[in-house]
Amino acid sequence: MATELSRTQGHTAHQRRRTWRTPMYTLTNYLFILPFLILFATFVAGPIFYSFWISLHDWKILAREQPFIGLANYINLMRDGIWWIALRNSLYFAFLTSIINTIFALVVAMLVNAPIRGRDFFRFVFYAPVVLSVAAMGIIMSWMMNTQFGIINYFLVWFGLPPVRWLADPNLVIPSLSLATVWWGFGFPMVIYLAGLQGIPDHLYEAARIDGANTWQTIRYITIPLMMPSIFFVFVTQLIAHFQVFGQPYIMTGGGGPGRSSYTVIIYLYQTAWRYFLMGYGAAIAVALALVILFFTLIQFRIFGRRSVIEY
Amino acid sequence: MNHYRVYRFLTRTLHYAVLIALAVVVGFPIYWMLVVSITPAAEVYRWPLQLWPANPTFEHYRAVFTRQDLMVDRWFINSVVVSTIITVLCVFLSSLTAYGFARLEFPGRNIIFMLLLFTLMVPGQVTLIPVFLLVRSLGWLDTYHALIWPGAVSVFGVFLLRQFFTSVPRELEEAALMDGAGRFRIYWQIVLPLSRAAIVALTIFVFLGAWNDLFWPLVVLNSLELRTLPVGLTVLQGTYIQERALVMAGTVIASAPVLLFYAIFQRRIIQGVMLTGMGGR
Repeated sequence: MATELSRTQGHTAHQRRRTWRTPMYTLTNYLFILPFLILFATFVAGPIFYSFWISLHDWKILAREQPFIGLANYINLMRDGIWWIALRNSLYFAFLTSIINTIFALVVAMLVNAPIRGRDFFRFVFYAPVVLSVAAMGIIMSWMMNTQFGIINYFLVWFGLPPVRWLADPNLVIPSLSLATVWWGFGFPMVIYLAGLQGIPDHLYEAARIDGANTWQTIRYITIPLMMPSIFFVFVTQLIAHFQVFGQPYIMTGGGGPGRSSYTVIIYLYQTAWRYFLMGYGAAIAVALALVILFFTLIQFRIFGRRSVIEY
Repeated sequence: MNHYRVYRFLTRTLHYAVLIALAVVVGFPIYWMLVVSITPAAEVYRWPLQLWPANPTFEHYRAVFTRQDLMVDRWFINSVVVSTIITVLCVFLSSLTAYGFARLEFPGRNIIFMLLLFTLMVPGQVTLIPVFLLVRSLGWLDTYHALIWPGAVSVFGVFLLRQFFTSVPRELEEAALMDGAGRFRIYWQIVLPLSRAAIVALTIFVFLGAWNDLFWPLVVLNSLELRTLPVGLTVLQGTYIQERALVMAGTVIASAPVLLFYAIFQRRIIQGVMLTGMGGR
């Protein structure tokens, strides 16, 4: 009986494996990925390579010919003062925002992870701004940060402090955009951290409590070390995301003002390609941007590649 | 012991005080957007500011819908239609493809998958100009094709769902196969329902992403009546910057649906972020 059954099972398994491999089945298997693959090749993979090709040309959208100019776009870019300003501003904004978000979101995550009443409500409020579009967020914050009529300055004056020229002062505009972005986005890393915090087993905290550790010590010696992978992950992904900032300066500072003090790489890309229709130069900007981001990604891989699995 | 109790009471109070203060600061801008949108135009610039308008009015909402150069109702419908089509297409294609990579065998599977992995590391900005030129040569500029087809491709979605699909027990699928179910039926009736949490999360975040996207619609759409809400808002901010209450009314109209949606599904959305790592910047 037992051998009979095992033979039947073995037979069907064998048969099944064979039928899966017949050409007819292989072809139908392709049907599952084919629609996606066509779109992927057209709108993702092809354009990635085409982008390099365009960047090697003096590609003006309205011109009849697009002459090949080799690396001239890249050479010009390296000598282009605006590019360096845009790069500096983007990096400044990205680092500032990511550092604040990485730390602040962790603090808030620990506050709303504690077993207190109403913590679901606090989580709800803190994540709410994340669902707004950058357009809505930019409009709201540019009105709040208005030097003359903004409510932030209204409260500052009310407390007897001098008004601040948030978006009008060239030295303050990027920190101001950063502040607005932290308001808008910190709920996201907060939730990422919450997932990490819930993965820390309770018995570690119990053991520490039995040993007489205070709250600060448990945070310092248990939570932070065990959260290091999450902290690195949040920081690098935040850095990559905020380096590509566009909407905030586009909406809040009229596309990078005052002057060029909040002019970012993507704003430069946007204006080059869609104001001046210099597609070749724009493509070179995009490729250079991608290289910077690739650099961040490699750092991310290095960090995570080296990190061993944490054993509790 | 008593000393310890006092200490605990104090830390607990401080804990709440910090959280409440933070909630007020975070919630205030959204509240303020609502307040400004119902403040009479004459009072918007008046000091002292009113935390609740003395004479609330809906004149700005009426104006937003009736001004000749604003088509907020049309933009709203555009956003709903475009985001819905993108979401349905994207989730369907991603899940179908993810199932293919998770369970089916075909020549070149690993090479194609490696190619997907590679493109995931390349930032999307690289493809903006080539896709724009492509869309232009297809005659799709200023049509929804330009938004929908590029928007329907999510390599990340494929990766995400593949990961969930591989954790569906193989035995279930094999049992269904023996009962004579086809591969598509297995995907549709077994794998999809079992991965519901991931599918729902992907659906929500693809929709939010499409609804909130600014750059791409800004670049490929030109006609006033074809715009989506975020692009419409930039017009509003650009043209009517002097009429703050009007701009805020438009912003409320663009934000209310997502905020409402979030309020209803908040638990699912926050769980979705934890599950997928999507849902933010």
